Amino acid sequence: MNAFLAALWAETLKARRSKITLLTAVGFLLLPFAGGLFMIILKNPAQARAMGLISTKAQLTAGVADWPSFFGMLSQGIAAGGAILFALITAWVFGREFSDHTAKELLALPTPRWVIVGAKFVLTALWILGLTLLIFVVGLGIGTAVDIPGWSLELEWTSFWSVLVTALLTFMLMPFVALFASSGRGYLPPLGWTILALVFANIVSLLGWGDWFPWAIPVLVSGMVKSHADQVGLHSYLVVLVAFFVGVAATFAWWQSADQAR
Amino acid sequence: MKFAIETNGLSKSYGQVRAVDSVNLRVGPGEIYGFIGLNGAGKTTTIRALLGMIRPSVGSVKVLGQAVGPNGHGPWRQVGHLVERPAAYPELTVRENLEIARRLHGISDKSATSHVIERLGLASYADRKAGTLSTGNFQRLGLARALLHAPELLILDEPANGLDPAGVVEIRELLAGLAHEKGVTVFMSSHILTEVDRLATRIGIIHEGRLIEELEAEKLEEIRSRRLEIKARNLQAAQSALTQAGFAVKTSESTLVLREARALDAPDEVATLLVNAGTPPTRLAVEQEDLEEYFLRLTGEKE
Repeated sequence: MNAFLAALWAETLKARRSKITLLTAVGFLLLPFAGGLFMIILKNPAQARAMGLISTKAQLTAGVADWPSFFGMLSQGIAAGGAILFALITAWVFGREFSDHTAKELLALPTPRWVIVGAKFVLTALWILGLTLLIFVVGLGIGTAVDIPGWSLELEWTSFWSVLVTALLTFMLMPFVALFASSGRGYLPPLGWTILALVFANIVSLLGWGDWFPWAIPVLVSGMVKSHADQVGLHSYLVVLVAFFVGVAATFAWWQSADQAR
Repeated sequence: MKFAIETNGLSKSYGQVRAVDSVNLRVGPGEIYGFIGLNGAGKTTTIRALLGMIRPSVGSVKVLGQAVGPNGHGPWRQVGHLVERPAAYPELTVRENLEIARRLHGISDKSATSHVIERLGLASYADRKAGTLSTGNFQRLGLARALLHAPELLILDEPANGLDPAGVVEIRELLAGLAHEKGVTVFMSSHILTEVDRLATRIGIIHEGRLIEELEAEKLEEIRSRRLEIKARNLQAAQSALTQAGFAVKTSESTLVLREARALDAPDEVATLLVNAGTPPTRLAVEQEDLEEYFLRLTGEKE
């Protein structure tokens, strides 16, 4: 336990000293602010046009200005934006050791390699959880300030869990990013993988098999693609779970056994 | 005898390339072992295998009596290492980098960090970000991390890299002190052969992946070839006189070189011969090849 706490302390210190912590927070905060702006526009499109917030040609047929729509935007933003932002975080946590050539300092230590990898995964999870809570709390503040109608405590709890489930599902796809950051020894392979996975998720969803493809499921769960949302079932959560365990196991196995010749 | 480092038939291949080929190393406790070789000879691959960073294609590695596996198992609490160029987290300070190492080594003594900072002369840089350090101070940080946990065995790849002349001497004295006073075993690779020459008690020469020579420092002293170097104002006349006296004379730039025992054992007679021939020497000296020359001769890089 001491070794794990030491490794987690080390990972946290690296993250705290990095600019990426602030940048990801600022980047993710765009989500509730953009949601708030949409609510203002949807509440009064004519006034928004007059203020120049939107073009006179804009068609605002989708959505109404209420709390369910606002929370839906947050959830969908986490599924779509989180897939990229969480991947950036994971790629940084794992890939930086190769970019800074520090990986070799982590291999011959009394602290086992699996403990260090475990600490990296825990830090990634906590980081993602922190960002999710941040945008939810900020979202509540913005929603209140904008005075969106239709708030209830029950709705808030339901939406909170929905946002958390979307974030959790998105996080569960990150071990593959960690695997590509480790085996690819840097930032580019995991980011390439992320883009590829998103492209495939779109194609598979269009073909109607999105509920079976782990990288499409968070978006479906968030309700972004309304026509396919009802496809998601227990099997969808199971395939995400399988992807999570395969990614984690492969990352641990790679760190434990792969030649570290560079 | 329990060796600090023992490899048996250690080989490592990358595809068709045999980076290390059947290397049998034996490094005794308290030795300073200089491991020398040309670029790409297999020094770093061997060091990585000693630290369990790569899986040997064939053979085995034991460090401090414990088998080293590719899965991270090894006596790492007692081993300090520096592999290739040092690495550190650039946005963390020197102290923070070492603090991470202290915790990952499971050292409970919090003063260990400050102690090693003082020892490596990094006190005035302790709160500076590692990314802003000079090459020499970055090297010192890497050495500080290797020494932080007072290891029994140091495995150092080019420890003098990037250090200024004063730093080279300082680190040499530090390593010699650790070996002599505390019985620390030092396994070091270096391309600065004069450093190895001054410090090592035993030397291993690796060439094209094979350990082609392993010898005690005293033995090296004996087997280094000697030569009598002669300079004269009239080099041709001097060469002619020596040849007539039956010496096999070689010319190297503006110097005549004799390697025969009768010349090496009695340079005064050679001087007399040249004086009598009317071409007295302006310089006459018995020179012994240094480690660099011996190494180049052995690896065929120089005749």
